[in-house]
Amino acid sequence: MKKTINGISVMLLTMTLLIAGCGQSPAPAGGDGGQAPAAAAGGSSMTKEAGVFTYAASGEYQPFSYFKDGQLTGFDIEIGEEIAKRLGLEPKAVTSPFSGIIAGVKEGRYDAAIASHAITDERKQQVDFADPYYLSGGQLFTRPDSDVSTLEALKGKEVAVALGTTHEKMAREYTDNIKTYDSDVTAMRALEQGKHDVVITDSVVGEIAIQQGLKIKKSGAALTEVQHGIAVRKGNEELLNKINEALKQMHEDGTYLKLSEKYFQRDISKKD
Amino acid sequence: MPSISHLIEEFIRTFPFFLKPLLLTFELTFASVVVGTVIGLFVALLKISNFPLGPMIANVYITVIRGTPLIVQIFVLYFGFYKVVDLGQFWSAALALAVHSGAYIAEIFRGAIQSIDKGQMEAGLSLGMSPAQTMRRIILPQALKRSIPPLGNQFILSLKESSLAAFIAMDELFSMARRLSAETFDEMTFFLIVAVYYLVIVMLFTYLVNKMEKRLAKGDS
Repeated sequence: MKKTINGISVMLLTMTLLIAGCGQSPAPAGGDGGQAPAAAAGGSSMTKEAGVFTYAASGEYQPFSYFKDGQLTGFDIEIGEEIAKRLGLEPKAVTSPFSGIIAGVKEGRYDAAIASHAITDERKQQVDFADPYYLSGGQLFTRPDSDVSTLEALKGKEVAVALGTTHEKMAREYTDNIKTYDSDVTAMRALEQGKHDVVITDSVVGEIAIQQGLKIKKSGAALTEVQHGIAVRKGNEELLNKINEALKQMHEDGTYLKLSEKYFQRDISKKD
Repeated sequence: MPSISHLIEEFIRTFPFFLKPLLLTFELTFASVVVGTVIGLFVALLKISNFPLGPMIANVYITVIRGTPLIVQIFVLYFGFYKVVDLGQFWSAALALAVHSGAYIAEIFRGAIQSIDKGQMEAGLSLGMSPAQTMRRIILPQALKRSIPPLGNQFILSLKESSLAAFIAMDELFSMARRLSAETFDEMTFFLIVAVYYLVIVMLFTYLVNKMEKRLAKGDS
Protein backbone atom coordinates (compact mmCIF):
# COMPACT_ATOMS: atom_id res chain seq x y z
CA MET A 1 0.00 0.00 0.00
CA LYS A 2 2.75 2.40 0.98
CA LYS A 3 4.55 1.48 -2.23
CA THR A 4 1.42 2.31 -4.23
CA ILE A 5 1.16 5.75 -2.72
CA ASN A 6 4.85 6.32 -3.30
CA GLY A 7 4.51 5.23 -6.89
CA ILE A 8 1.60 7.53 -7.55
CA SER A 9 3.23 10.53 -5.93
CA VAL A 10 6.43 10.00 -7.91
CA MET A 11 4.35 9.83 -11.06
CA LEU A 12 2.44 13.01 -10.28
CA LEU A 13 5.61 14.84 -9.29
CA THR A 14 7.34 13.85 -12.50
CA MET A 15 4.42 14.95 -14.63
CA THR A 16 4.14 18.25 -12.80
CA LEU A 17 7.83 18.91 -13.27
CA LEU A 18 7.67 17.99 -16.92
CA ILE A 19 4.74 20.21 -17.63
CA ALA A 20 5.75 23.06 -15.36
CA GLY A 21 9.20 23.11 -16.89
CA CYS A 22 7.67 23.70 -20.27
CA GLY A 23 5.03 26.12 -19.12
CA GLN A 24 7.44 28.53 -17.59
CA SER A 25 9.58 29.25 -20.57
CA PRO A 26 7.25 31.71 -22.36
CA ALA A 27 7.81 34.32 -19.67
CA PRO A 28 11.37 35.34 -20.58
CA ALA A 29 10.62 35.02 -24.30
CA GLY A 30 8.08 37.80 -23.93
CA GLY A 31 4.71 36.91 -25.42
CA ASP A 32 3.89 35.59 -28.83
CA GLY A 33 6.15 37.86 -30.83
CA GLY A 34 9.42 36.82 -29.25
CA GLN A 35 9.78 33.29 -30.50
CA ALA A 36 12.96 33.90 -32.41
CA PRO A 37 15.40 35.38 -29.97
CA ALA A 38 18.32 35.15 -32.38
CA ALA A 39 16.55 37.24 -35.01
CA ALA A 40 15.77 39.94 -32.48
CA ALA A 41 19.24 39.99 -30.97
CA GLY A 42 21.07 40.44 -34.26
CA GLY A 43 20.13 44.10 -34.58
CA SER A 44 18.89 44.77 -38.10
CA SER A 45 19.69 41.26 -39.25
CA MET A 46 16.61 39.71 -40.80
CA THR A 47 18.02 36.20 -40.66
CA LYS A 48 18.68 34.14 -37.59
CA GLU A 49 22.38 33.94 -38.34
CA ALA A 50 23.96 37.12 -39.70
CA GLY A 51 25.05 36.75 -43.31
CA VAL A 52 23.41 33.37 -43.75
CA PHE A 53 20.07 32.51 -45.32
CA THR A 54 18.84 29.32 -43.68
CA TYR A 55 15.98 27.64 -45.51
CA ALA A 56 14.31 24.30 -45.06
CA ALA A 57 13.03 21.65 -47.42
CA SER A 58 12.16 18.01 -46.90
CA GLY A 59 14.92 16.59 -49.06
CA GLU A 60 12.49 13.79 -49.93
CA TYR A 61 10.52 15.44 -52.70
CA GLN A 62 12.22 14.82 -55.97
CA PRO A 63 12.62 16.89 -58.14
CA PHE A 64 11.98 19.82 -55.80
CA SER A 65 14.35 18.77 -53.07
CA TYR A 66 16.32 15.55 -53.01
CA PHE A 67 19.76 14.11 -52.56
CA LYS A 68 21.92 13.37 -55.55
CA ASP A 69 25.23 11.70 -54.80
CA GLY A 70 24.77 12.74 -51.20
CA GLN A 71 24.31 16.37 -52.16
CA LEU A 72 21.04 18.18 -51.45
CA THR A 73 19.67 19.61 -54.68
CA GLY A 74 16.46 20.23 -56.60
CA PHE A 75 14.30 23.06 -57.84
CA ASP A 76 13.46 24.39 -54.37
CA ILE A 77 17.06 24.19 -53.25
CA GLU A 78 18.36 26.05 -56.31
CA ILE A 79 15.65 28.71 -55.97
CA GLY A 80 16.93 29.21 -52.43
CA GLU A 81 20.50 29.53 -53.63
CA GLU A 82 19.49 32.16 -56.19
CA ILE A 83 17.53 34.10 -53.59
CA ALA A 84 20.42 34.02 -51.14
CA LYS A 85 22.74 35.30 -53.86
CA ARG A 86 20.45 38.24 -54.55
CA LEU A 87 20.18 38.96 -50.83
CA GLY A 88 23.94 38.99 -50.47
CA LEU A 89 23.73 36.07 -48.04
CA GLU A 90 25.28 32.67 -47.89
CA PRO A 91 22.71 29.96 -48.66
CA LYS A 92 22.27 27.21 -46.10
CA ALA A 93 19.72 24.58 -47.05
CA VAL A 94 18.63 22.26 -44.26
CA THR A 95 16.27 19.31 -44.33
CA SER A 96 13.46 18.44 -41.96
CA PRO A 97 10.45 16.13 -42.23
CA PHE A 98 7.90 18.10 -44.24
CA SER A 99 5.28 18.09 -41.50
CA GLY A 100 7.53 20.04 -39.14
CA ILE A 101 8.79 22.73 -41.50
CA ILE A 102 6.08 25.36 -40.95
CA ALA A 103 6.43 24.97 -37.19
CA GLY A 104 10.18 25.38 -37.61
CA VAL A 105 9.73 28.63 -39.52
CA LYS A 106 7.26 29.83 -36.92
CA GLU A 107 9.72 29.17 -34.13
CA GLY A 108 12.62 30.76 -35.98
CA ARG A 109 14.60 27.59 -36.57
CA TYR A 110 14.72 28.46 -40.28
CA ASP A 111 14.55 31.86 -41.94
CA ALA A 112 12.33 30.48 -44.66
CA ALA A 113 10.70 27.35 -45.98
CA ILE A 114 11.34 26.73 -49.66
CA ALA A 115 9.67 23.39 -49.56
CA SER A 116 6.86 23.43 -52.11
CA HIS A 117 4.20 24.52 -49.66
CA ALA A 118 0.83 25.05 -51.28
CA ILE A 119 -0.43 28.41 -50.11
CA THR A 120 -3.47 27.75 -47.91
CA ASP A 121 -5.43 29.93 -45.50
CA GLU A 122 -4.59 27.55 -42.71
CA ARG A 123 -0.86 27.93 -43.28
CA LYS A 124 -1.24 31.69 -43.75
CA GLN A 125 -2.39 31.93 -40.16
CA GLN A 126 0.95 30.51 -39.07
CA VAL A 127 3.46 32.08 -41.46
CA ASP A 128 3.65 34.71 -44.19
CA PHE A 129 3.98 33.60 -47.79
CA ALA A 130 6.02 35.34 -50.45
CA ASP A 131 4.56 35.70 -53.93
CA PRO A 132 3.81 32.28 -55.51
CA TYR A 133 6.79 30.68 -57.18
CA TYR A 134 5.11 27.87 -59.02
CA LEU A 135 1.78 26.36 -59.95
CA SER A 136 1.03 22.68 -59.58
CA GLY A 137 -1.40 20.34 -57.94
CA GLY A 138 -2.54 17.02 -56.58
CA GLN A 139 -3.00 13.90 -58.61
CA LEU A 140 -4.12 10.34 -57.91
CA PHE A 141 -1.57 7.60 -58.50
CA THR A 142 -2.37 3.90 -58.48
CA ARG A 143 -0.87 0.61 -59.53
CA PRO A 144 -1.29 -0.05 -63.27
CA ASP A 145 -4.15 -2.53 -62.78
CA SER A 146 -6.29 -0.26 -60.62
CA ASP A 147 -9.46 1.47 -61.79
CA VAL A 148 -9.63 4.18 -59.12
CA SER A 149 -9.58 7.50 -60.93
CA THR A 150 -11.70 9.93 -58.90
CA LEU A 151 -11.71 11.15 -55.32
CA GLU A 152 -15.21 9.70 -54.86
CA ALA A 153 -13.82 6.24 -55.62
CA LEU A 154 -11.50 6.47 -52.62
CA LYS A 155 -14.20 5.17 -50.28
CA GLY A 156 -13.08 1.84 -48.88
CA LYS A 157 -9.61 2.22 -50.36
CA GLU A 158 -6.40 2.72 -48.45
CA VAL A 159 -4.69 5.97 -49.34
CA ALA A 160 -1.04 6.73 -48.62
CA VAL A 161 0.12 10.34 -48.40
CA ALA A 162 2.95 12.40 -47.00
CA LEU A 163 2.21 13.75 -43.54
CA GLY A 164 1.15 17.38 -43.25
CA THR A 165 0.58 17.94 -46.97
CA THR A 166 -2.47 19.43 -48.63
CA HIS A 167 -2.85 16.03 -50.31
CA GLU A 168 -3.32 14.45 -46.89
CA LYS A 169 -5.97 17.02 -46.07
CA MET A 170 -7.80 16.36 -49.29
CA ALA A 171 -7.68 12.61 -48.81
CA ARG A 172 -9.15 12.89 -45.33
CA GLU A 173 -12.27 14.49 -46.81
CA TYR A 174 -13.01 11.30 -48.71
CA THR A 175 -11.82 8.42 -46.56
CA ASP A 176 -10.67 7.54 -43.06
CA ASN A 177 -8.28 4.86 -44.18
CA ILE A 178 -5.14 6.92 -44.57
CA LYS A 179 -1.53 5.96 -44.03
CA THR A 180 1.06 8.67 -43.64
CA TYR A 181 4.73 8.64 -44.51
CA ASP A 182 7.31 11.37 -44.18
CA SER A 183 7.95 11.38 -47.89
CA ASP A 184 5.72 11.29 -50.95
CA VAL A 185 8.32 9.15 -52.67
CA THR A 186 8.23 6.55 -49.87
CA ALA A 187 4.44 6.51 -50.11
CA MET A 188 4.66 5.79 -53.84
CA ARG A 189 7.19 3.02 -53.29
CA ALA A 190 4.85 1.43 -50.73
CA LEU A 191 2.02 1.77 -53.26
CA GLU A 192 4.08 0.01 -55.92
CA GLN A 193 4.72 -2.84 -53.48
CA GLY A 194 1.00 -3.30 -53.02
CA LYS A 195 0.83 -2.00 -49.48
CA HIS A 196 -1.83 0.62 -50.26
CA ASP A 197 -4.37 1.33 -53.02
CA VAL A 198 -3.82 4.96 -53.90
CA VAL A 199 -1.30 7.75 -53.41
CA ILE A 200 -2.17 11.40 -53.71
CA THR A 201 0.81 13.59 -54.42
CA ASP A 202 1.90 16.40 -56.66
CA SER A 203 1.54 15.43 -60.31
CA VAL A 204 5.10 16.45 -61.18
CA VAL A 205 6.59 14.49 -58.27
CA GLY A 206 4.64 11.40 -59.31
CA GLU A 207 5.60 11.74 -62.95
CA ILE A 208 9.29 11.94 -62.11
CA ALA A 209 9.01 8.83 -59.95
CA ILE A 210 7.36 6.97 -62.85
CA GLN A 211 10.10 8.14 -65.22
CA GLN A 212 12.58 6.65 -62.80
CA GLY A 213 10.98 3.27 -63.08
CA LEU A 214 8.34 3.10 -60.35
CA LYS A 215 5.58 0.83 -61.61
CA ILE A 216 2.58 3.01 -60.87
CA LYS A 217 0.35 5.17 -63.06
CA LYS A 218 -1.25 8.57 -63.08
CA SER A 219 -4.95 8.03 -62.54
CA GLY A 220 -7.73 10.38 -63.60
CA ALA A 221 -7.51 14.12 -64.11
CA ALA A 222 -5.53 16.65 -62.10
CA LEU A 223 -7.30 17.21 -58.78
CA THR A 224 -6.17 20.74 -58.10
CA GLU A 225 -4.04 23.51 -59.46
CA VAL A 226 -2.62 25.56 -56.62
CA GLN A 227 -0.01 28.21 -56.06
CA HIS A 228 3.06 27.28 -54.07
CA GLY A 229 4.96 29.77 -51.98
CA ILE A 230 8.01 30.41 -49.85
CA ALA A 231 7.13 30.83 -46.18
CA VAL A 232 8.79 33.16 -43.68
CA ARG A 233 8.10 33.90 -40.04
CA LYS A 234 5.13 36.18 -39.48
CA GLY A 235 6.19 39.80 -39.19
CA ASN A 236 9.55 39.41 -40.92
CA GLU A 237 8.53 41.98 -43.55
CA GLU A 238 12.07 42.83 -44.50
CA LEU A 239 12.94 39.29 -45.52
CA LEU A 240 9.56 38.78 -47.18
CA ASN A 241 9.98 41.88 -49.33
CA LYS A 242 13.50 40.97 -50.29
CA ILE A 243 12.48 37.46 -51.29
CA ASN A 244 9.71 38.91 -53.45
CA GLU A 245 12.16 41.31 -55.03
CA ALA A 246 14.60 38.48 -55.70
CA LEU A 247 11.87 36.32 -57.24
CA LYS A 248 10.86 39.22 -59.50
CA GLN A 249 14.43 39.71 -60.59
CA MET A 250 14.81 36.02 -61.31
CA HIS A 251 11.76 36.12 -63.56
CA GLU A 252 13.04 39.22 -65.34
CA ASP A 253 16.59 38.07 -65.97
CA GLY A 254 15.59 34.58 -67.08
CA THR A 255 17.09 32.72 -64.14
CA TYR A 256 13.73 31.36 -63.11
CA LEU A 257 12.91 30.08 -66.58
CA LYS A 258 16.30 28.45 -66.84
CA LEU A 259 15.80 26.61 -63.54
CA SER A 260 12.27 25.65 -64.39
CA GLU A 261 13.28 24.25 -67.76
CA LYS A 262 16.20 22.40 -66.21
CA TYR A 263 13.88 20.43 -63.96
CA PHE A 264 10.54 20.40 -65.78
CA GLN A 265 11.28 21.28 -69.42
CA ARG A 266 8.71 24.09 -69.13
CA ASP A 267 7.80 27.20 -67.14
CA ILE A 268 6.00 25.94 -64.05
CA SER A 269 4.95 29.42 -62.95
CA LYS A 270 2.33 29.19 -65.71
CA LYS A 271 -0.47 26.73 -66.40
CA ASP A 272 0.65 23.61 -68.20
CA MET B 1 6.29 27.06 -25.75
CA PRO B 2 2.84 25.86 -24.72
CA SER B 3 1.38 26.91 -21.40
CA ILE B 4 0.09 24.39 -18.88
CA SER B 5 -3.53 25.31 -19.48
CA HIS B 6 -3.06 24.95 -23.23
CA LEU B 7 -1.47 21.54 -22.73
CA ILE B 8 -4.31 20.36 -20.54
CA GLU B 9 -6.94 21.72 -22.91
CA GLU B 10 -5.33 20.01 -25.89
CA PHE B 11 -4.84 16.82 -23.90
CA ILE B 12 -8.55 16.66 -23.17
CA ARG B 13 -9.61 17.72 -26.69
CA THR B 14 -7.44 15.13 -28.41
CA PHE B 15 -7.96 12.30 -25.93
CA PRO B 16 -10.52 10.50 -28.14
CA PHE B 17 -8.09 10.61 -31.08
CA PHE B 18 -5.46 8.80 -29.05
CA LEU B 19 -7.60 5.81 -28.07
CA LYS B 20 -7.20 3.78 -31.25
CA PRO B 21 -3.47 4.54 -31.56
CA LEU B 22 -3.06 3.61 -27.90
CA LEU B 23 -4.63 0.24 -28.57
CA LEU B 24 -2.38 -0.29 -31.58
CA THR B 25 0.70 0.56 -29.52
CA PHE B 26 -0.37 -2.07 -26.99
CA GLU B 27 -1.03 -4.63 -29.68
CA LEU B 28 2.35 -4.00 -31.26
CA THR B 29 4.12 -4.21 -27.93
CA PHE B 30 2.38 -7.39 -26.78
CA ALA B 31 2.79 -9.13 -30.11
CA SER B 32 6.45 -8.24 -30.22
CA VAL B 33 7.16 -9.20 -26.60
CA VAL B 34 5.36 -12.53 -26.87
CA VAL B 35 7.08 -13.49 -30.12
CA GLY B 36 10.33 -12.00 -28.83
CA THR B 37 10.16 -14.15 -25.69
CA VAL B 38 9.67 -17.30 -27.74
CA ILE B 39 12.61 -16.34 -29.97
CA GLY B 40 14.67 -15.38 -26.94
CA LEU B 41 14.08 -18.62 -25.08
CA PHE B 42 14.86 -20.66 -28.16
CA VAL B 43 18.05 -18.72 -28.89
CA ALA B 44 19.19 -18.85 -25.27
CA LEU B 45 18.82 -22.63 -25.18
CA LEU B 46 20.56 -22.87 -28.53
CA LYS B 47 23.41 -20.79 -27.23
CA ILE B 48 24.06 -22.98 -24.17
CA SER B 49 23.31 -26.21 -26.03
CA ASN B 50 25.97 -28.51 -27.45
CA PHE B 51 24.25 -28.96 -30.80
CA PRO B 52 26.81 -28.66 -33.57
CA LEU B 53 26.70 -25.02 -34.77
CA GLY B 54 23.96 -24.24 -32.23
CA PRO B 55 25.92 -21.73 -30.14
CA MET B 56 27.42 -20.20 -33.27
CA ILE B 57 24.04 -19.59 -34.92
CA ALA B 58 22.74 -18.04 -31.71
CA ASN B 59 25.80 -15.81 -31.47
CA VAL B 60 25.49 -14.64 -35.07
CA TYR B 61 21.84 -13.77 -34.54
CA ILE B 62 22.53 -11.88 -31.34
CA THR B 63 25.51 -10.05 -32.83
CA VAL B 64 23.71 -8.95 -36.00
CA ILE B 65 20.51 -7.88 -34.29
CA ARG B 66 22.17 -6.10 -31.40
CA GLY B 67 24.62 -4.51 -33.79
CA THR B 68 22.10 -2.85 -36.13
CA PRO B 69 19.56 -0.14 -35.37
CA LEU B 70 15.93 -1.10 -34.96
CA ILE B 71 14.76 1.48 -37.48
CA VAL B 72 16.97 -0.17 -40.11
CA GLN B 73 15.54 -3.58 -39.23
CA ILE B 74 12.01 -2.21 -39.52
CA PHE B 75 12.70 -0.73 -42.97
CA VAL B 76 14.40 -3.90 -44.16
CA LEU B 77 11.43 -6.02 -43.13
CA TYR B 78 8.87 -3.55 -44.46
CA PHE B 79 10.41 -2.45 -47.76
CA GLY B 80 13.13 -5.00 -48.37
CA PHE B 81 11.59 -8.34 -47.56
CA TYR B 82 8.20 -7.86 -49.14
CA LYS B 83 9.16 -9.90 -52.21
CA VAL B 84 10.20 -12.83 -50.05
CA VAL B 85 7.23 -12.65 -47.71
CA ASP B 86 4.75 -9.81 -47.64
CA LEU B 87 4.14 -9.51 -43.94
CA GLY B 88 1.82 -6.54 -44.09
CA GLN B 89 2.24 -3.45 -42.03
CA PHE B 90 1.43 -4.72 -38.59
CA TRP B 91 3.58 -7.82 -38.71
CA SER B 92 6.47 -6.06 -40.39
CA ALA B 93 6.62 -3.73 -37.44
CA ALA B 94 5.74 -6.32 -34.82
CA LEU B 95 8.19 -8.87 -36.17
CA ALA B 96 11.01 -6.35 -36.44
CA LEU B 97 10.38 -5.40 -32.83
CA ALA B 98 10.16 -9.07 -31.85
CA VAL B 99 13.34 -10.09 -33.63
CA HIS B 100 15.04 -7.09 -32.07
CA SER B 101 13.93 -7.68 -28.51
CA GLY B 102 14.44 -11.44 -29.03
CA ALA B 103 18.20 -10.90 -29.12
CA TYR B 104 18.12 -9.06 -25.80
CA ILE B 105 15.67 -11.50 -24.26
CA ALA B 106 17.97 -14.38 -25.29
CA GLU B 107 20.74 -12.82 -23.25
CA ILE B 108 18.37 -12.30 -20.33
CA PHE B 109 17.41 -16.00 -20.36
CA ARG B 110 20.97 -17.17 -20.85
CA GLY B 111 22.12 -15.12 -17.90
CA ALA B 112 19.24 -16.38 -15.76
CA ILE B 113 19.83 -20.02 -16.70
CA GLN B 114 23.53 -19.79 -16.01
CA SER B 115 22.88 -18.08 -12.69
CA ILE B 116 21.16 -21.21 -11.37
CA ASP B 117 23.60 -23.14 -9.24
CA LYS B 118 25.36 -26.02 -11.02
CA GLY B 119 24.35 -28.30 -8.18
CA GLN B 120 20.76 -28.16 -9.37
CA MET B 121 21.64 -29.77 -12.68
CA GLU B 122 23.82 -32.32 -10.93
CA ALA B 123 21.05 -33.12 -8.47
CA GLY B 124 18.57 -33.61 -11.27
CA LEU B 125 20.92 -35.89 -13.16
CA SER B 126 21.70 -37.92 -10.07
CA LEU B 127 17.95 -38.47 -9.59
CA GLY B 128 17.91 -40.11 -13.00
CA MET B 129 16.43 -37.27 -15.03
CA SER B 130 17.85 -36.56 -18.46
CA PRO B 131 19.59 -33.20 -19.02
CA ALA B 132 16.56 -32.00 -21.03
CA GLN B 133 14.19 -33.07 -18.27
CA THR B 134 16.29 -31.36 -15.62
CA MET B 135 16.39 -28.22 -17.72
CA ARG B 136 12.62 -28.21 -18.18
CA ARG B 137 11.57 -29.25 -14.67
CA ILE B 138 14.25 -27.81 -12.43
CA ILE B 139 16.37 -25.15 -14.08
CA LEU B 140 13.92 -23.28 -16.34
CA PRO B 141 11.22 -22.63 -13.71
CA GLN B 142 13.82 -21.03 -11.44
CA ALA B 143 15.50 -19.18 -14.29
CA LEU B 144 12.22 -17.80 -15.62
CA LYS B 145 11.47 -16.37 -12.21
CA ARG B 146 14.82 -14.61 -12.17
CA SER B 147 14.13 -13.31 -15.67
CA ILE B 148 11.00 -11.45 -14.75
CA PRO B 149 12.52 -8.13 -13.65
CA PRO B 150 14.75 -7.81 -16.75
CA LEU B 151 11.86 -8.98 -18.93
CA GLY B 152 9.71 -6.22 -17.50
CA ASN B 153 12.46 -3.85 -18.41
CA GLN B 154 12.53 -5.24 -21.93
CA PHE B 155 8.76 -4.80 -22.21
CA ILE B 156 9.18 -1.13 -21.37
CA LEU B 157 11.89 -0.78 -24.00
CA SER B 158 9.70 -2.51 -26.59
CA LEU B 159 6.79 -0.26 -25.76
CA LYS B 160 8.87 2.82 -26.36
CA GLU B 161 10.57 1.37 -29.42
CA SER B 162 7.20 0.65 -31.01
CA SER B 163 7.04 4.39 -31.69
CA LEU B 164 9.44 3.78 -34.58
CA ALA B 165 6.58 2.05 -36.40
CA ALA B 166 5.27 5.55 -37.07
CA PHE B 167 7.82 5.69 -39.87
CA ILE B 168 6.24 2.82 -41.76
CA ALA B 169 2.85 4.50 -41.58
CA MET B 170 1.49 2.67 -38.54
CA ASP B 171 -1.10 4.77 -36.76
CA GLU B 172 0.24 4.24 -33.26
CA LEU B 173 0.70 6.80 -30.47
CA PHE B 174 3.67 8.69 -31.81
CA SER B 175 2.20 8.75 -35.28
CA MET B 176 -0.95 10.39 -33.93
CA ALA B 177 1.14 12.98 -32.11
CA ARG B 178 2.93 13.77 -35.34
CA ARG B 179 -0.33 14.01 -37.22
CA LEU B 180 -1.82 16.41 -34.68
CA SER B 181 1.41 18.45 -34.72
CA ALA B 182 1.24 18.70 -38.48
CA GLU B 183 -2.42 19.65 -38.40
CA THR B 184 -2.05 22.36 -35.80
CA PHE B 185 1.54 23.48 -36.47
CA ASP B 186 1.89 23.17 -32.72
CA GLU B 187 4.65 20.59 -32.37
CA MET B 188 5.73 20.96 -28.76
CA THR B 189 2.25 20.51 -27.37
CA PHE B 190 1.63 17.13 -28.93
CA PHE B 191 5.11 15.77 -28.42
CA LEU B 192 4.73 16.59 -24.72
CA ILE B 193 1.27 15.09 -24.61
CA VAL B 194 2.42 11.86 -26.21
CA ALA B 195 5.36 11.77 -23.80
CA VAL B 196 2.84 11.82 -20.95
CA TYR B 197 0.97 8.87 -22.50
CA TYR B 198 4.14 6.79 -22.68
CA LEU B 199 5.25 7.87 -19.24
CA VAL B 200 1.96 6.92 -17.60
CA ILE B 201 1.89 3.51 -19.30
CA VAL B 202 5.48 2.79 -18.31
CA MET B 203 4.87 3.82 -14.71
CA LEU B 204 1.74 1.70 -14.44
CA PHE B 205 3.58 -1.23 -15.90
CA THR B 206 6.58 -0.77 -13.63
CA TYR B 207 4.21 -0.83 -10.69
CA LEU B 208 2.65 -4.08 -11.91
CA VAL B 209 6.03 -5.73 -12.45
CA ASN B 210 7.18 -4.74 -8.97
CA LYS B 211 4.02 -6.21 -7.50
CA MET B 212 4.46 -9.44 -9.41
CA GLU B 213 8.09 -9.68 -8.35
CA LYS B 214 7.08 -9.38 -4.72
CA ARG B 215 4.46 -12.07 -5.05
CA LEU B 216 6.94 -14.42 -6.67
CA ALA B 217 9.53 -13.62 -3.98
CA LYS B 218 7.12 -14.86 -1.31
CA GLY B 219 7.51 -18.40 -2.59
CA ASP B 220 11.25 -18.21 -2.03
CA SER B 221 11.27 -18.00 1.74
